[in-house]
Amino acid sequence: MPSDVYIQTTELTRKFKEKTALDRVNLQIHQGELFGLVGPDGAGKTTLLRTLAGLIGISDGAVHVAGCDLLKNPESVKSQIGYMAQEFSLYSKLSVIENLQFFGELYNVPASIQRERIPGLLAFAQLTEFKNRRAAKLSGGMKKKLALACTLLHRPPTLLLDEPTTGVDPVSRREFWKILNDLHIQGTTIIVSTPYMDEADRCSRVALIYNGRVVQCDSPAAIRGQLGGEVLKIVTDNWQKARKVILPLPGVQEVQSYGEALHVLVDSASRRTKSIKKSLLEHKLSILEMRGITPRMEEAFISFIRKMDQDT
Amino acid sequence: MNKEFLHLKHDWWLPAFMLFGGALELLMIGWATSRPITNLPLMIWDMDKTPASRNLVISIENTGTFELVEPATSMDMIKNQMDRGKINAAVIIPQGFAGEISASAGNPILQVILNGAESTPAREAQRAIEGVVWALGEKITIEKLGVNAEQFEGFDFSLRVWFNEALNEAYFTTPAELALMLEFTILIFAALTFSREREFGTLEQLLVMPFTSLEIIIGKSIPVILVGLFDFSIMLGVVHFAFHVPVRGSLPLIFGLAFIYTLVELGKGMAISVFSRSQHQSFLLVLMVGMVDFMFTGYAAPVESMPQIIQTLAKFIPAHHWLEILRGIILKGSTIMDILPNVLWLVILGTIIGFFSLRYIRKALD
Amino acid sequence: MSIRHLWAVVRKEIQHILRDRGTFILVLVTPTVVLLLMTYALAVDIEHVSIALLDYDQSPMSRQFIQRITAGDDLDLYTAAGSMEEIEDLLVKGKIKAALIIDPDFSADLLSMRGLALQVVIDGTEPETGGFAVDHIGWRAEIFANQILSSQLRASGLAVESLQPIDLRIRAWYNPSLVPQVDLVPGLLSVVLGFPAFSVALTLAREHEHRTMEQLLATPITRIELLLGKIIPYILAGLLNVLVIPFFAMAWFNVPFHGSFLVFLLLSVIFLFAELSMGMVIGVFMRSQSAALALSFLVVMFPGFFLTGIFFPIASLPELARMESLFLPGTQYAIITRGVFLTGIGLDVLWPYAIMLIFLGLVFTGTAALFFRKKLA
Repeated sequence: MPSDVYIQTTELTRKFKEKTALDRVNLQIHQGELFGLVGPDGAGKTTLLRTLAGLIGISDGAVHVAGCDLLKNPESVKSQIGYMAQEFSLYSKLSVIENLQFFGELYNVPASIQRERIPGLLAFAQLTEFKNRRAAKLSGGMKKKLALACTLLHRPPTLLLDEPTTGVDPVSRREFWKILNDLHIQGTTIIVSTPYMDEADRCSRVALIYNGRVVQCDSPAAIRGQLGGEVLKIVTDNWQKARKVILPLPGVQEVQSYGEALHVLVDSASRRTKSIKKSLLEHKLSILEMRGITPRMEEAFISFIRKMDQDT
Repeated sequence: MNKEFLHLKHDWWLPAFMLFGGALELLMIGWATSRPITNLPLMIWDMDKTPASRNLVISIENTGTFELVEPATSMDMIKNQMDRGKINAAVIIPQGFAGEISASAGNPILQVILNGAESTPAREAQRAIEGVVWALGEKITIEKLGVNAEQFEGFDFSLRVWFNEALNEAYFTTPAELALMLEFTILIFAALTFSREREFGTLEQLLVMPFTSLEIIIGKSIPVILVGLFDFSIMLGVVHFAFHVPVRGSLPLIFGLAFIYTLVELGKGMAISVFSRSQHQSFLLVLMVGMVDFMFTGYAAPVESMPQIIQTLAKFIPAHHWLEILRGIILKGSTIMDILPNVLWLVILGTIIGFFSLRYIRKALD
Repeated sequence: MSIRHLWAVVRKEIQHILRDRGTFILVLVTPTVVLLLMTYALAVDIEHVSIALLDYDQSPMSRQFIQRITAGDDLDLYTAAGSMEEIEDLLVKGKIKAALIIDPDFSADLLSMRGLALQVVIDGTEPETGGFAVDHIGWRAEIFANQILSSQLRASGLAVESLQPIDLRIRAWYNPSLVPQVDLVPGLLSVVLGFPAFSVALTLAREHEHRTMEQLLATPITRIELLLGKIIPYILAGLLNVLVIPFFAMAWFNVPFHGSFLVFLLLSVIFLFAELSMGMVIGVFMRSQSAALALSFLVVMFPGFFLTGIFFPIASLPELARMESLFLPGTQYAIITRGVFLTGIGLDVLWPYAIMLIFLGLVFTGTAALFFRKKLA
């Protein structure tokens, strides 16, 4: 394994009954990366993270995390990582601080060091005033922050976070990412899966996972760049009809719907804008908005998925 | 209601266990316990070693109640084995026993030591040995007196057993076990109906749905009732076919009353499930409540022998009447007239319990 | 194995139990309460068995006999019946458990030594009471006949003390009056101390249901640490009952305690370890609490009740059941409790059972650890 590759999976395959949850996944993650995992539900993000955490067996292939061979000795990796489950829950009857202490004990953090670090973590997670409150009585955002704090107590060099901000209010989400960025700067390797595309944009590299396979793995900018086209945002008074109208037009590669708006992928905005406008007006659709937008991860993502579906 | 069945599919272990577990338990337990007491380890210290004493030993062995262990050679040996609970009784035949028997003014003595640490086998042992000794005593007397043995027919009287001619233990134990298993099955199942929601605090979610609380209750009840009755049928089948207990009364009557009883216990169980805050709690409560009922059912000891207060209290326990009904119909072929008092009690109790449970549950849900 | 990890789990479990008041009280109290209830339920001395009489003889002797029969507390005369139909009816309705029918030749037959012209009909659905009635009628009949006949024989000049020459001296050790409670309580102790096993079976399933399991498995904790950590709090709960129950036994039920309390404590801990790890084996397989409950109830409760030699002597069980009972910790513990309470034997005699319990505990814990994967799938 090359020296700066910290986490490596080689042809990682995980089968579960009939379904192949992970299909020959090859990834190389470097130390200190802030690595994102995106993909639809059931794509395999959780399975991948769980495998890296040693929680799931490997059907085929190999996984190395921080020098530990997960095929031979999955337990060895556990003290090196901090893992936050998607469907996690902390111990509802224990207080914030008791939860922290519990995990501290399990991660072999000496009591004196616990005493040192816990106040800092509480402040980090903005939970200091709630430290004696029962975990059951925390809000969703606070619970997630507490869960994160529990994974940080032993200062693991690697964090595996499974959708840590799902179901959290936008303010908490931002605060959460601020924490992640700080950790990133401090050198922690972070693998985080997320359904939010704007979060994916903040990662050093992102892997797109679909049907257990890695579809794309590159920096966000590169991925967006691969879209190969430009995006027009069009809002009409009847998007379903508009969609039917636009799709067959020449130069239109894809039409994605976002609520009322349509994001149309065209080969060249300058060439196609007029023809699209004309078509819409011919079909008696009124155009409320039409402008070019920078392609986002979202569009790239959906585009890739579509292409994969078409290929199969 | 469909939602409940969906839940059941996820949790299919639970009804499966209850259904087949109940029958399996009955089978296992019934098979193990519906036997007379036999093979009790017995130690004999024959200090006489004459044909007479040896005959006595053989007669004791022939009762079938005992299994003779190594013969004793000292009191210490007896004490040792008795202390360790390895023998249930010891018989000491003193030296000169035969002599005393044949002597005209003889006084043959026989010592029996029972292991009181297990009183039921001890009593059984006592009974068996007394029987042998008395028979022997009669024989001796007859011979001594030169009385015509044929004329003297002994002290036996004729014994007729009704309803259970072979005195098959299973007749006694299995209907009771059946009653108990049904009760526990329903109670446990019913007590878990709302417990999950209580534990996870999702009761509100349930109530937000467009059902009235009555509909929710009925929806939760139906799987329990179905499982309970199905279980009962299986267990009844086990009792009949595996243990050869005849079902002498009318089947429709049994099932009708089983249904009523199911409703009663269902009410109790659901009240428990709404009262407790978690599945763990529900279960422990069921355990205690079940044991209370068990006490009054007269399973192991007849209710008539209990202190008067307890006997009166027993009338208020549905399980007590249920057991009487079950025994009556299965073994005695009772018609509804015969067991009318029990049926009435059951129905009245059931209505009261059901009414209050329902109110309590509805209040809790609303 | 890290004691730190073990202690962290024990502490967490205890905190959880303590903070759930209702459950805490129940877990603590159930064994003792059930023991008390069940002792009352089962340790009943049969008496006041209702019987009916049908006297076809109507002689002074038969009337004398009837008096003898109903003299004590054991048999209660419900009614003097007039016909077999009446008796049949009473039996079916459950008003009487037995009936004694005195044949018309009763006094004649007895005086001419032709035997006892009696019939006893019993309700076979309750062999306990029926058998009791038979026994007691039989005893009294024997004594009665014995007296009549011996005086008869003496009158005709033969030197006869009684028709029963053999002096049968019966003693019961440890429980001289054969009071059922006395041997029941130590036996029931074995049953009720198994109750914490239900809670143990639940505890893993609860982590699954409450979604804390995944997070827990991601830590370096080992299986043994987790399993033992979860068993220990319940051993403690069981121990609290062990401390309290002998007091009730002695004060309320007059059960003697002849052995050493320290030995009893030690052996109880070992038993709890074995029994609760049996519960843990079940708990390892179940993902939902209700399933864990159901299965542990079936496996722990009924065999623990019926196959451990408490109510039915093991010697009378069929071969297969006897073998199964060997593997139930309850069986060994029942012997231990009987020994400590009633016979006063000590560790020098009981050590093989202690060893067996330790062995069972290790086997169960090992099995649980084996089947408990620190994997989600």
